[in-house]
Amino acid sequence: MRPARRSALALGGGLLAALAAPRLLLANGPEVIGMRGTARGEHVWFAPVGLAVAPGTTLRFVNDDAGNSHTATAYHPAILDRPRRIPRGAEPWDSGFLLPGESFEATLTVPGVYDYHCQPHEFGGMVGRIVVGTPGTPGWQPASREPGDIPPEALAAFPPVGAILRAGRLHREDMA
Amino acid sequence: MFRKIALVSAATMLGACAAVAHDEPALMQAPPGAPYQQVSELVPLPDYIPGLGALWVDPATLPAGPFLAYDRDGRLSATVYMTPLEALRNGTAYDGLGIGAHNVSSVDVYHNAGHPGVDVPHAHVVLFHDEGARARLAE
Repeated sequence: MRPARRSALALGGGLLAALAAPRLLLANGPEVIGMRGTARGEHVWFAPVGLAVAPGTTLRFVNDDAGNSHTATAYHPAILDRPRRIPRGAEPWDSGFLLPGESFEATLTVPGVYDYHCQPHEFGGMVGRIVVGTPGTPGWQPASREPGDIPPEALAAFPPVGAILRAGRLHREDMA
Repeated sequence: MFRKIALVSAATMLGACAAVAHDEPALMQAPPGAPYQQVSELVPLPDYIPGLGALWVDPATLPAGPFLAYDRDGRLSATVYMTPLEALRNGTAYDGLGIGAHNVSSVDVYHNAGHPGVDVPHAHVVLFHDEGARARLAE
């Protein structure tokens, strides 16, 4: 069975935090992150690869790649025993495999830096970074500096936090 | 000792013959039958991939294949091999691979960043079996 659309909420800080800020959640409509690739799959990427959002923003990951499937998977020990690269206390998310046209939603509430990847394309450098809030936001947590078992191709593809905050949305061509 | 070597040699020869004894009528039209299975039933990939068509593979031959590529009318149009780059660098060789049809009109070799089933960067080697195959698979 292949649901046409998958949806989930990654409620960092728990459900109470989400209920406590309903206006904030409603005020931040889905920010779309495309999952893309060249026609023959030579290159694959998230678009944008870096994104700055307010706490409580919902992200919608959409597979725009006609010839491939992708995942959006947070780095966290609870998912495939990977290193934690999202803020402490935030709930990790995993879209599972999305076929072309399918989508998945996650809402990020804990301020800080979230790194995620596409499971079949991590070695191809398909990773992304979300910055929730700014360093001035109470409780904001910086990017992880622990490489763990993350391949060099992925580590090299994370955009700098400062560049994301300056640009708001950072695309792969901006990093060239 | 000699007998043991002879048996091993015979088995190897049989295996090699089985691997290359393609170009059979049963493969020319989808579905090719056992031991082939549709790739989209094995891993989460679309049933039809633009450029590669509908792929079928004998799971025992993964990751290299051969993958049999059929157009939208079910006509065998290409044979595809997928060879992980790191394995090649480390000395792995993929020899004696089968082929869907013996007529080959052109060959494409290109890099692929990965996909379910072969989730590491690898090379796609695509053997097109007739002049119109590339255009049909692209549809």
